[in-house]
Amino acid sequence: MAQDSGRLTQPPVVAVRGLTRRYGERTIIDNVDLDIGRGEFVALLGRSGSGKSTFLRALAGLDHGVPGSGRLGTPDAVSVVFQDARLLPWKTVVDNVSLGLKGQTPRERALHALAEVELTARAKAWPMQLSGGEQQRAALARSLVREPELLLLDEPFGALDALTRLRMQALLLDLCARHRPAVLLVTHDVDEAIHLAQRVLVLDQGRFIVDLKVDLPSETGPRQRRFAEVRSELLSSLGVTQEELRRVA
Amino acid sequence: MADLSLTGGQGAIDPSWLKLARSQPAGTADEPRRRRKLGPGRPIPYGAALGPVVLLILWSIGSATGYIDDRILSAPWTVATTGWELIQDGRLQENLWTSFQRSFWGLFWGIVAGASLGVIAGLSRIGEYLVDGPIQIKRAIPALALIPLLMLWFGIGEGMKVLTIALITFAPIYIQTHDGLRSTDARFIELAETLDLSNGQFLRHVVLPAALPGFLLGLRFGVTYSWLALVVVEQVNATSGLGYMINLARTYGQTEVIILCLAVYAALGLSSDWLVRFITRKALPWRKILAD
Repeated sequence: MAQDSGRLTQPPVVAVRGLTRRYGERTIIDNVDLDIGRGEFVALLGRSGSGKSTFLRALAGLDHGVPGSGRLGTPDAVSVVFQDARLLPWKTVVDNVSLGLKGQTPRERALHALAEVELTARAKAWPMQLSGGEQQRAALARSLVREPELLLLDEPFGALDALTRLRMQALLLDLCARHRPAVLLVTHDVDEAIHLAQRVLVLDQGRFIVDLKVDLPSETGPRQRRFAEVRSELLSSLGVTQEELRRVA
Repeated sequence: MADLSLTGGQGAIDPSWLKLARSQPAGTADEPRRRRKLGPGRPIPYGAALGPVVLLILWSIGSATGYIDDRILSAPWTVATTGWELIQDGRLQENLWTSFQRSFWGLFWGIVAGASLGVIAGLSRIGEYLVDGPIQIKRAIPALALIPLLMLWFGIGEGMKVLTIALITFAPIYIQTHDGLRSTDARFIELAETLDLSNGQFLRHVVLPAALPGFLLGLRFGVTYSWLALVVVEQVNATSGLGYMINLARTYGQTEVIILCLAVYAALGLSSDWLVRFITRKALPWRKILAD
Protein backbone atom coordinates (compact mmCIF):
# COMPACT_ATOMS: atom_id res chain seq x y z
CA MET A 1 0.00 0.00 0.00
CA ALA A 2 2.80 2.37 0.95
CA GLN A 3 4.45 1.63 -2.38
CA ASP A 4 1.24 2.36 -4.27
CA SER A 5 0.85 5.80 -2.75
CA GLY A 6 4.53 6.44 -3.41
CA ARG A 7 3.94 5.62 -7.02
CA LEU A 8 1.11 8.09 -7.23
CA THR A 9 3.28 11.01 -6.18
CA GLN A 10 6.26 9.99 -8.33
CA PRO A 11 5.95 9.06 -12.01
CA PRO A 12 7.08 5.51 -12.73
CA VAL A 13 10.57 4.97 -14.16
CA VAL A 14 9.25 2.54 -16.74
CA ALA A 15 5.88 3.03 -18.38
CA VAL A 16 5.01 0.48 -21.04
CA ARG A 17 1.68 0.75 -22.83
CA GLY A 18 0.26 -1.69 -25.34
CA LEU A 19 3.64 -3.19 -26.25
CA THR A 20 3.49 -5.79 -29.02
CA ARG A 21 6.41 -7.60 -30.66
CA ARG A 22 6.21 -10.16 -33.45
CA TYR A 23 8.57 -12.61 -35.07
CA GLY A 24 6.98 -13.54 -38.40
CA GLU A 25 3.52 -14.92 -37.71
CA ARG A 26 4.16 -15.45 -34.01
CA THR A 27 3.22 -12.71 -31.53
CA ILE A 28 5.84 -12.90 -28.80
CA ILE A 29 4.68 -9.92 -26.72
CA ASP A 30 0.95 -9.31 -26.96
CA ASN A 31 -0.33 -5.85 -26.01
CA VAL A 32 1.39 -5.61 -22.64
CA ASP A 33 1.29 -2.79 -20.05
CA LEU A 34 3.82 -2.39 -17.24
CA ASP A 35 4.84 0.29 -14.74
CA ILE A 36 7.99 0.00 -12.66
CA GLY A 37 8.39 2.50 -9.83
CA ARG A 38 11.56 4.26 -8.76
CA GLY A 39 13.83 1.80 -6.92
CA GLU A 40 11.43 -1.09 -7.45
CA PHE A 41 12.92 -4.55 -7.97
CA VAL A 42 10.83 -6.61 -10.38
CA ALA A 43 11.56 -10.17 -11.46
CA LEU A 44 10.19 -11.55 -14.71
CA LEU A 45 9.66 -15.30 -14.90
CA GLY A 46 8.56 -17.39 -17.81
CA ARG A 47 9.15 -20.69 -19.52
CA SER A 48 11.86 -20.75 -22.17
CA GLY A 49 10.54 -19.16 -25.33
CA SER A 50 7.88 -17.22 -23.42
CA GLY A 51 9.31 -13.92 -24.66
CA LYS A 52 10.92 -12.65 -21.46
CA SER A 53 14.20 -11.88 -23.21
CA THR A 54 12.30 -10.24 -26.08
CA PHE A 55 10.59 -8.00 -23.54
CA LEU A 56 13.89 -7.08 -21.87
CA ARG A 57 15.54 -6.36 -25.22
CA ALA A 58 12.62 -4.12 -26.14
CA LEU A 59 13.14 -2.14 -22.91
CA ALA A 60 16.89 -1.98 -23.63
CA GLY A 61 16.21 -0.69 -27.15
CA LEU A 62 18.13 -3.61 -28.64
CA ASP A 63 15.34 -5.09 -30.77
CA HIS A 64 16.19 -3.42 -34.07
CA GLY A 65 13.94 -4.48 -36.88
CA VAL A 66 11.57 -6.56 -34.74
CA PRO A 67 8.13 -5.48 -35.91
CA GLY A 68 5.63 -4.33 -33.32
CA SER A 69 3.83 -1.42 -31.76
CA GLY A 70 3.15 0.25 -28.44
CA ARG A 71 4.65 2.96 -26.26
CA LEU A 72 7.86 2.44 -24.32
CA GLY A 73 8.64 4.96 -21.61
CA THR A 74 12.15 4.28 -20.33
CA PRO A 75 14.69 6.61 -18.68
CA ASP A 76 17.86 7.84 -20.40
CA ALA A 77 20.21 6.00 -18.08
CA VAL A 78 19.57 2.30 -18.71
CA SER A 79 22.20 -0.36 -18.01
CA VAL A 80 22.08 -3.96 -19.14
CA VAL A 81 23.83 -6.99 -17.65
CA PHE A 82 23.78 -10.02 -19.90
CA GLN A 83 24.12 -13.68 -19.05
CA ASP A 84 27.67 -13.59 -20.38
CA ALA A 85 29.78 -10.84 -18.85
CA ARG A 86 30.63 -9.39 -22.27
CA LEU A 87 33.95 -7.89 -21.28
CA LEU A 88 36.12 -6.86 -24.23
CA PRO A 89 39.05 -9.30 -24.05
CA TRP A 90 41.54 -6.69 -25.34
CA LYS A 91 40.85 -4.23 -22.52
CA THR A 92 41.83 -4.58 -18.88
CA VAL A 93 39.05 -4.95 -16.34
CA VAL A 94 39.17 -1.28 -15.29
CA ASP A 95 39.18 -0.10 -18.92
CA ASN A 96 36.17 -2.30 -19.56
CA VAL A 97 34.33 -0.70 -16.67
CA SER A 98 35.20 2.86 -17.74
CA LEU A 99 34.48 2.22 -21.44
CA GLY A 100 32.40 5.06 -22.89
CA LEU A 101 31.91 6.61 -19.45
CA LYS A 102 30.97 10.27 -19.68
CA GLY A 103 31.82 13.03 -17.22
CA GLN A 104 34.83 13.71 -15.00
CA THR A 105 37.51 11.22 -13.86
CA PRO A 106 36.09 8.08 -15.50
CA ARG A 107 39.00 5.95 -14.34
CA GLU A 108 38.62 6.89 -10.68
CA ARG A 109 34.91 6.20 -10.82
CA ALA A 110 35.55 2.84 -12.48
CA LEU A 111 38.03 1.91 -9.76
CA HIS A 112 35.50 2.95 -7.13
CA ALA A 113 32.86 0.74 -8.76
CA LEU A 114 35.32 -2.16 -8.82
CA ALA A 115 35.94 -1.62 -5.10
CA GLU A 116 32.19 -1.90 -4.55
CA VAL A 117 32.13 -5.34 -6.15
CA GLU A 118 35.37 -6.29 -4.31
CA LEU A 119 37.42 -6.54 -7.48
CA THR A 120 40.06 -3.85 -6.83
CA ALA A 121 42.86 -6.41 -6.88
CA ARG A 122 41.94 -7.54 -10.39
CA ALA A 123 41.48 -4.07 -11.91
CA LYS A 124 44.50 -4.39 -14.21
CA ALA A 125 43.94 -8.03 -15.14
CA TRP A 126 42.72 -9.19 -18.54
CA PRO A 127 39.12 -10.42 -18.51
CA MET A 128 40.20 -13.91 -19.55
CA GLN A 129 42.20 -14.21 -16.35
CA LEU A 130 39.05 -13.83 -14.23
CA SER A 131 36.73 -16.58 -13.03
CA GLY A 132 33.12 -16.58 -14.21
CA GLY A 133 31.91 -14.94 -11.00
CA GLU A 134 34.60 -12.26 -11.14
CA GLN A 135 33.73 -11.50 -14.75
CA GLN A 136 30.09 -11.06 -13.86
CA ARG A 137 31.06 -8.80 -10.94
CA ALA A 138 33.06 -6.65 -13.36
CA ALA A 139 29.99 -6.50 -15.61
CA LEU A 140 27.91 -5.38 -12.61
CA ALA A 141 30.47 -2.67 -11.83
CA ARG A 142 30.35 -1.54 -15.46
CA SER A 143 26.57 -1.13 -15.35
CA LEU A 144 26.40 0.51 -11.91
CA VAL A 145 29.17 3.06 -12.54
CA ARG A 146 26.79 4.66 -15.05
CA GLU A 147 24.30 5.36 -12.19
CA PRO A 148 21.38 3.84 -14.10
CA GLU A 149 17.79 4.70 -13.30
CA LEU A 150 16.84 1.35 -14.78
CA LEU A 151 18.96 -1.78 -14.48
CA LEU A 152 18.07 -4.63 -16.82
CA LEU A 153 19.43 -8.05 -15.88
CA ASP A 154 19.07 -10.87 -18.43
CA GLU A 155 19.64 -14.09 -16.47
CA PRO A 156 22.86 -12.61 -15.08
CA PHE A 157 23.71 -15.58 -12.85
CA GLY A 158 22.48 -18.32 -15.16
CA ALA A 159 25.97 -19.50 -16.09
CA LEU A 160 27.42 -19.49 -12.55
CA ASP A 161 27.78 -22.39 -10.14
CA ALA A 162 25.34 -22.55 -7.21
CA LEU A 163 27.74 -21.17 -4.59
CA THR A 164 28.97 -18.25 -6.71
CA ARG A 165 25.41 -17.53 -7.70
CA LEU A 166 24.37 -17.24 -4.03
CA ARG A 167 27.15 -14.75 -3.27
CA MET A 168 26.35 -12.75 -6.41
CA GLN A 169 22.70 -12.53 -5.41
CA ALA A 170 23.65 -11.15 -1.99
CA LEU A 171 26.02 -8.66 -3.64
CA LEU A 172 23.31 -7.56 -6.07
CA LEU A 173 20.88 -6.90 -3.20
CA ASP A 174 23.52 -4.77 -1.42
CA LEU A 175 24.30 -2.78 -4.54
CA CYS A 176 20.63 -2.18 -5.33
CA ALA A 177 19.96 -1.05 -1.76
CA ARG A 178 22.78 1.47 -2.14
CA HIS A 179 22.11 2.77 -5.67
CA ARG A 180 18.31 2.36 -5.75
CA PRO A 181 17.84 1.79 -9.49
CA ALA A 182 14.60 0.33 -10.77
CA VAL A 183 15.45 -3.29 -11.64
CA LEU A 184 13.97 -5.75 -14.08
CA LEU A 185 15.51 -9.18 -13.55
CA VAL A 186 14.75 -11.81 -16.17
CA THR A 187 15.27 -15.29 -14.78
CA HIS A 188 13.93 -18.81 -14.96
CA ASP A 189 14.83 -19.49 -11.32
CA VAL A 190 11.72 -19.12 -9.17
CA ASP A 191 13.62 -19.09 -5.85
CA GLU A 192 15.97 -16.40 -7.13
CA ALA A 193 12.99 -14.28 -8.17
CA ILE A 194 11.31 -14.55 -4.75
CA HIS A 195 14.53 -13.90 -2.82
CA LEU A 196 15.57 -10.84 -4.81
CA ALA A 197 12.45 -9.12 -6.05
CA GLN A 198 9.66 -7.16 -4.37
CA ARG A 199 7.33 -8.05 -7.21
CA VAL A 200 7.27 -11.04 -9.55
CA LEU A 201 5.71 -11.18 -13.01
CA VAL A 202 5.09 -14.33 -15.03
CA LEU A 203 5.01 -14.02 -18.80
CA ASP A 204 3.07 -16.64 -20.73
CA GLN A 205 1.99 -16.54 -24.37
CA GLY A 206 2.98 -12.89 -24.60
CA ARG A 207 0.99 -11.68 -21.55
CA PHE A 208 1.64 -11.22 -17.85
CA ILE A 209 -0.50 -13.91 -16.25
CA VAL A 210 0.80 -13.23 -12.73
CA ASP A 211 1.73 -9.92 -11.07
CA LEU A 212 2.52 -10.71 -7.45
CA LYS A 213 3.85 -8.71 -4.49
CA VAL A 214 6.27 -10.94 -2.61
CA ASP A 215 6.13 -9.19 0.82
CA LEU A 216 8.18 -11.67 2.83
CA PRO A 217 7.64 -11.10 6.60
CA SER A 218 10.84 -10.71 8.66
CA GLU A 219 10.19 -13.41 11.33
CA THR A 220 11.49 -16.80 10.27
CA GLY A 221 8.29 -18.85 10.66
CA PRO A 222 5.83 -16.69 8.73
CA ARG A 223 8.61 -15.91 6.26
CA GLN A 224 9.05 -19.58 5.36
CA ARG A 225 5.30 -20.06 5.08
CA ARG A 226 4.92 -17.06 2.78
CA PHE A 227 7.91 -18.19 0.74
CA ALA A 228 6.39 -21.64 0.18
CA GLU A 229 3.04 -20.09 -0.69
CA VAL A 230 4.48 -17.71 -3.30
CA ARG A 231 6.73 -20.40 -4.66
CA SER A 232 3.94 -22.88 -5.17
CA GLU A 233 1.74 -20.25 -6.84
CA LEU A 234 4.53 -19.20 -9.21
CA LEU A 235 5.52 -22.77 -10.04
CA SER A 236 1.97 -23.79 -10.82
CA SER A 237 1.53 -20.72 -13.04
CA LEU A 238 4.64 -21.90 -14.87
CA GLY A 239 2.94 -25.24 -15.55
CA VAL A 240 4.40 -27.37 -12.75
CA THR A 241 1.61 -29.72 -11.57
CA GLN A 242 0.70 -30.29 -7.89
CA GLU A 243 1.84 -33.90 -8.31
CA GLU A 244 5.28 -32.83 -9.58
CA LEU A 245 5.50 -30.21 -6.83
CA ARG A 246 4.86 -32.83 -4.13
CA ARG A 247 7.44 -35.20 -5.52
CA VAL A 248 10.48 -32.96 -6.06
CA ALA A 249 9.97 -29.31 -5.26
CA MET B 1 31.15 -75.43 -22.78
CA ALA B 2 31.21 -71.79 -21.70
CA ASP B 3 31.75 -72.80 -18.09
CA LEU B 4 34.64 -75.04 -18.91
CA SER B 5 36.57 -72.56 -20.98
CA LEU B 6 35.99 -69.81 -18.42
CA THR B 7 37.45 -71.72 -15.48
CA GLY B 8 40.22 -73.12 -17.64
CA GLY B 9 41.12 -69.66 -18.84
CA GLN B 10 41.16 -68.21 -15.35
CA GLY B 11 43.32 -70.97 -14.03
CA ALA B 12 45.79 -70.58 -16.85
CA ILE B 13 46.06 -66.81 -16.63
CA ASP B 14 46.01 -66.20 -12.92
CA PRO B 15 49.46 -66.47 -11.33
CA SER B 16 51.99 -65.22 -13.86
CA TRP B 17 49.76 -62.63 -15.44
CA LEU B 18 48.80 -61.02 -12.13
CA LYS B 19 52.41 -60.85 -11.00
CA LEU B 20 53.31 -59.08 -14.21
CA ALA B 21 50.50 -56.59 -13.72
CA ARG B 22 51.60 -55.85 -10.17
CA SER B 23 55.20 -55.22 -11.12
CA GLN B 24 54.22 -52.78 -13.87
CA PRO B 25 53.52 -49.51 -12.01
CA ALA B 26 56.75 -47.76 -11.05
CA GLY B 27 57.75 -47.36 -7.39
CA THR B 28 56.99 -49.40 -4.31
CA ALA B 29 53.77 -51.22 -3.48
CA ASP B 30 52.74 -48.47 -1.00
CA GLU B 31 52.57 -45.84 -3.69
CA PRO B 32 49.10 -45.37 -5.24
CA ARG B 33 48.91 -46.65 -8.75
CA ARG B 34 49.29 -43.87 -11.33
CA ARG B 35 47.79 -44.05 -14.77
CA ARG B 36 50.07 -44.21 -17.74
CA LYS B 37 50.32 -40.71 -19.27
CA LEU B 38 49.13 -40.50 -22.85
CA GLY B 39 50.31 -37.93 -25.35
CA PRO B 40 53.52 -37.25 -27.29
CA GLY B 41 55.73 -36.82 -24.21
CA ARG B 42 57.76 -34.00 -22.76
CA PRO B 43 59.25 -31.29 -25.03
CA ILE B 44 63.05 -31.30 -25.47
CA PRO B 45 64.90 -27.95 -25.65
CA TYR B 46 65.90 -27.14 -29.26
CA GLY B 47 64.25 -30.41 -30.26
CA ALA B 48 62.82 -28.71 -33.36
CA ALA B 49 66.35 -28.54 -34.80
CA LEU B 50 66.62 -32.32 -34.81
CA GLY B 51 65.01 -32.92 -38.23
CA PRO B 52 67.11 -30.37 -40.16
CA VAL B 53 70.31 -31.54 -38.41
CA VAL B 54 69.61 -35.15 -39.38
CA LEU B 55 69.06 -34.06 -42.98
CA LEU B 56 72.34 -32.13 -42.93
CA ILE B 57 74.20 -35.16 -41.57
CA LEU B 58 72.71 -37.47 -44.22
CA TRP B 59 73.65 -34.93 -46.91
CA SER B 60 77.23 -34.70 -45.58
CA ILE B 61 77.62 -38.46 -45.43
CA GLY B 62 76.18 -38.84 -48.92
CA SER B 63 78.59 -36.25 -50.32
CA ALA B 64 81.64 -37.56 -48.48
CA THR B 65 81.11 -41.13 -49.61
CA GLY B 66 80.45 -40.01 -53.16
CA TYR B 67 76.97 -41.43 -53.00
CA ILE B 68 75.58 -38.00 -54.02
CA ASP B 69 76.96 -36.76 -57.34
CA ASP B 70 78.52 -33.30 -57.02
CA ARG B 71 76.82 -32.22 -60.25
CA ILE B 72 73.38 -33.03 -58.81
CA LEU B 73 73.91 -31.66 -55.31
CA SER B 74 77.10 -29.96 -54.10
CA ALA B 75 78.58 -30.97 -50.76
CA PRO B 76 77.68 -28.83 -47.73
CA TRP B 77 81.30 -27.63 -47.38
CA THR B 78 81.38 -26.56 -51.04
CA VAL B 79 78.25 -24.52 -50.44
CA ALA B 80 79.82 -22.99 -47.31
CA THR B 81 83.09 -22.02 -49.00
CA THR B 82 81.26 -20.65 -52.04
CA GLY B 83 79.11 -18.63 -49.69
CA TRP B 84 82.21 -17.25 -48.00
CA GLU B 85 83.75 -16.29 -51.36
CA LEU B 86 80.55 -14.60 -52.53
CA ILE B 87 80.43 -12.60 -49.30
CA GLN B 88 84.12 -11.69 -49.68
CA ASP B 89 83.67 -10.22 -53.15
CA GLY B 90 80.37 -8.60 -52.05
CA ARG B 91 78.14 -10.22 -54.65
CA LEU B 92 75.89 -11.98 -52.15
CA GLN B 93 75.21 -8.87 -50.05
CA GLU B 94 74.59 -6.77 -53.14
CA ASN B 95 72.03 -9.15 -54.62
CA LEU B 96 70.46 -9.84 -51.23
CA TRP B 97 70.03 -6.11 -50.62
CA THR B 98 68.38 -5.65 -54.03
CA SER B 99 66.02 -8.54 -53.35
CA PHE B 100 65.29 -7.31 -49.87
CA GLN B 101 64.37 -3.84 -51.13
CA ARG B 102 62.02 -5.26 -53.75
CA SER B 103 60.35 -7.47 -51.19
CA PHE B 104 60.16 -4.72 -48.61
CA TRP B 105 58.58 -2.10 -50.88
CA GLY B 106 56.26 -4.64 -52.46
CA LEU B 107 55.12 -5.74 -49.03
CA PHE B 108 54.86 -2.15 -47.85
CA TRP B 109 52.49 -1.17 -50.65
CA GLY B 110 50.69 -4.49 -50.24
CA ILE B 111 50.04 -3.68 -46.59
CA VAL B 112 48.93 -0.13 -47.37
CA ALA B 113 46.55 -1.29 -50.10
CA GLY B 114 45.34 -4.42 -48.31
CA ALA B 115 44.68 -2.72 -44.99
CA SER B 116 43.00 0.37 -46.40
CA LEU B 117 40.82 -1.54 -48.86
CA GLY B 118 40.02 -4.02 -46.09
CA VAL B 119 38.91 -1.18 -43.83
CA ILE B 120 36.84 0.43 -46.62
CA ALA B 121 35.09 -2.85 -47.43
CA GLY B 122 34.80 -3.84 -43.79
CA LEU B 123 33.23 -0.67 -42.50
CA SER B 124 30.78 0.33 -45.22
CA ARG B 125 28.31 -1.62 -47.29
CA ILE B 126 28.85 0.53 -50.39
CA GLY B 127 32.60 0.13 -49.94
CA GLU B 128 32.20 -3.63 -49.79
CA TYR B 129 30.07 -3.72 -52.94
CA LEU B 130 32.59 -1.58 -54.83
CA VAL B 131 35.83 -3.12 -53.60
CA ASP B 132 35.18 -6.74 -52.77
CA GLY B 133 34.00 -7.91 -56.21
CA PRO B 134 37.06 -6.76 -58.20
CA ILE B 135 39.39 -8.14 -55.55
CA GLN B 136 37.71 -11.55 -55.61
CA ILE B 137 38.06 -11.55 -59.41
CA LYS B 138 41.72 -10.53 -59.17
CA ARG B 139 42.25 -13.30 -56.64
CA ALA B 140 40.94 -15.85 -59.10
CA ILE B 141 43.58 -14.83 -61.66
CA PRO B 142 47.00 -16.39 -60.98
CA ALA B 143 49.56 -13.66 -60.30
CA LEU B 144 51.93 -15.21 -62.85
CA ALA B 145 49.34 -14.69 -65.58
CA LEU B 146 49.32 -10.97 -64.86
CA ILE B 147 53.06 -10.55 -65.38
CA PRO B 148 52.99 -10.22 -69.18
CA LEU B 149 50.41 -7.46 -68.92
CA LEU B 150 52.33 -5.72 -66.14
CA MET B 151 55.49 -5.88 -68.26
CA LEU B 152 53.66 -4.25 -71.17
CA TRP B 153 52.32 -1.50 -68.92
CA PHE B 154 55.25 -0.85 -66.62
CA GLY B 155 58.26 -2.21 -68.49
CA ILE B 156 60.73 -4.59 -66.91
CA GLY B 157 62.17 -2.21 -64.32
CA GLU B 158 61.90 -2.08 -60.56
CA GLY B 159 58.38 -0.58 -60.66
CA MET B 160 56.94 -3.69 -62.27
CA LYS B 161 58.66 -5.97 -59.75
CA VAL B 162 57.50 -4.02 -56.72
CA LEU B 163 53.99 -3.78 -58.15
CA THR B 164 53.80 -7.53 -58.76
CA ILE B 165 54.92 -8.28 -55.21
CA ALA B 166 52.40 -5.74 -53.87
CA LEU B 167 49.62 -7.31 -55.94
CA ILE B 168 50.43 -10.74 -54.54
CA THR B 169 50.85 -9.69 -50.90
CA PHE B 170 47.87 -7.39 -50.59
CA ALA B 171 45.30 -10.15 -51.13
CA PRO B 172 45.74 -12.07 -47.85
CA ILE B 173 46.04 -8.85 -45.86
CA TYR B 174 42.87 -7.49 -47.43
CA ILE B 175 40.94 -10.72 -46.87
CA GLN B 176 41.92 -11.18 -43.23
CA THR B 177 41.39 -7.50 -42.34
CA HIS B 178 38.01 -7.41 -44.06
CA ASP B 179 37.01 -10.65 -42.40
CA GLY B 180 38.17 -9.44 -38.99
CA LEU B 181 36.15 -6.25 -39.31
CA ARG B 182 33.07 -8.04 -40.59
CA SER B 183 33.06 -10.77 -37.99
CA THR B 184 33.10 -8.43 -34.98
CA ASP B 185 31.17 -10.36 -32.36
CA ALA B 186 27.49 -9.34 -32.47
CA ARG B 187 27.47 -9.50 -28.67
CA PHE B 188 30.07 -6.74 -28.50
CA ILE B 189 28.10 -4.62 -30.96
CA GLU B 190 25.09 -4.98 -28.69
CA LEU B 191 27.22 -4.05 -25.69
CA ALA B 192 28.48 -0.94 -27.46
CA GLU B 193 24.86 0.04 -28.10
CA THR B 194 23.88 -0.34 -24.45
CA LEU B 195 26.93 1.70 -23.39
CA ASP B 196 25.89 4.49 -25.80
CA LEU B 197 29.26 4.53 -27.53
CA SER B 198 29.68 7.08 -30.31
CA ASN B 199 30.66 5.85 -33.79
CA GLY B 200 34.25 6.91 -33.15
CA GLN B 201 34.45 5.18 -29.78
CA PHE B 202 32.84 2.06 -31.24
CA LEU B 203 35.48 1.96 -34.00
CA ARG B 204 38.42 2.67 -31.71
CA HIS B 205 37.53 0.45 -28.77
CA VAL B 206 35.56 -2.38 -30.34
CA VAL B 207 35.86 -2.81 -34.11
CA LEU B 208 39.54 -2.11 -34.75
CA PRO B 209 40.88 -4.13 -31.79
CA ALA B 210 38.58 -6.97 -32.85
CA ALA B 211 40.03 -6.84 -36.37
CA LEU B 212 43.67 -6.60 -35.29
CA PRO B 213 44.27 -10.37 -34.92
CA GLY B 214 42.89 -10.85 -38.44
CA PHE B 215 45.11 -8.14 -39.87
CA LEU B 216 48.19 -9.64 -38.18
CA LEU B 217 47.34 -13.10 -39.51
CA GLY B 218 47.02 -11.56 -42.97
CA LEU B 219 50.37 -9.87 -42.44
CA ARG B 220 51.97 -13.21 -41.65
CA PHE B 221 50.68 -14.65 -44.91
CA GLY B 222 51.67 -11.44 -46.71
CA VAL B 223 55.27 -11.63 -45.52
CA THR B 224 55.59 -15.23 -46.66
CA TYR B 225 54.01 -14.36 -50.01
CA SER B 226 56.42 -11.45 -50.48
CA TRP B 227 59.35 -13.89 -50.66
CA LEU B 228 57.42 -16.22 -52.96
CA ALA B 229 56.56 -13.28 -55.21
CA LEU B 230 60.20 -12.27 -55.20
CA VAL B 231 61.19 -15.63 -56.65
CA VAL B 232 58.58 -15.19 -59.37
CA VAL B 233 59.62 -11.69 -60.47
CA GLU B 234 63.36 -12.31 -60.24
CA GLN B 235 63.30 -15.38 -62.43
CA VAL B 236 61.56 -13.40 -65.17
CA ASN B 237 64.23 -11.14 -66.73
CA ALA B 238 66.13 -9.62 -63.84
CA THR B 239 69.75 -8.43 -63.84
CA SER B 240 70.25 -8.51 -60.10
CA GLY B 241 68.86 -10.16 -56.99
CA LEU B 242 68.83 -13.65 -55.54
CA GLY B 243 66.59 -15.01 -58.30
CA TYR B 244 68.99 -13.66 -60.90
CA MET B 245 71.90 -15.38 -59.10
CA ILE B 246 70.00 -18.66 -59.22
CA ASN B 247 69.28 -18.30 -62.94
CA LEU B 248 72.89 -17.48 -63.69
CA ALA B 249 74.10 -20.41 -61.59
CA ARG B 250 71.79 -22.73 -63.48
CA THR B 251 73.31 -21.58 -66.75
CA TYR B 252 76.80 -22.42 -65.48
CA GLY B 253 75.73 -25.55 -63.62
CA GLN B 254 76.80 -24.23 -60.20
CA THR B 255 74.56 -26.19 -57.86
CA GLU B 256 76.42 -24.82 -54.82
CA VAL B 257 75.26 -21.25 -55.67
CA ILE B 258 71.69 -22.43 -56.19
CA ILE B 259 71.74 -24.23 -52.84
CA LEU B 260 73.25 -21.19 -51.16
CA CYS B 261 70.52 -18.90 -52.53
CA LEU B 262 67.85 -21.37 -51.44
CA ALA B 263 69.36 -21.36 -47.94
CA VAL B 264 69.25 -17.56 -47.93
CA TYR B 265 65.58 -17.64 -49.02
CA ALA B 266 64.84 -20.07 -46.20
CA ALA B 267 66.61 -17.89 -43.65
CA LEU B 268 64.76 -14.79 -44.87
CA GLY B 269 61.41 -16.56 -44.79
CA LEU B 270 61.91 -18.03 -41.33
CA SER B 271 63.26 -14.85 -39.74
CA SER B 272 60.54 -12.62 -41.18
CA ASP B 273 57.88 -15.06 -40.03
CA TRP B 274 59.45 -15.00 -36.58
CA LEU B 275 59.43 -11.19 -36.67
CA VAL B 276 55.70 -11.07 -37.46
CA ARG B 277 54.94 -13.54 -34.69
CA PHE B 278 56.98 -11.38 -32.34
CA ILE B 279 54.99 -8.27 -33.37
CA THR B 280 51.76 -10.23 -32.90
CA ARG B 281 52.72 -11.19 -29.37
CA LYS B 282 53.54 -7.57 -28.55
CA ALA B 283 50.39 -6.19 -30.16
CA LEU B 284 48.00 -8.68 -28.56
CA PRO B 285 49.18 -8.94 -24.93
CA TRP B 286 45.77 -10.18 -23.82
CA ARG B 287 46.25 -13.26 -25.94
CA LYS B 288 49.51 -14.27 -24.33
CA ILE B 289 47.78 -15.56 -21.22
CA LEU B 290 46.05 -18.18 -23.37
CA ALA B 291 49.39 -19.71 -24.26
CA ASP B 292 50.68 -19.61 -20.66
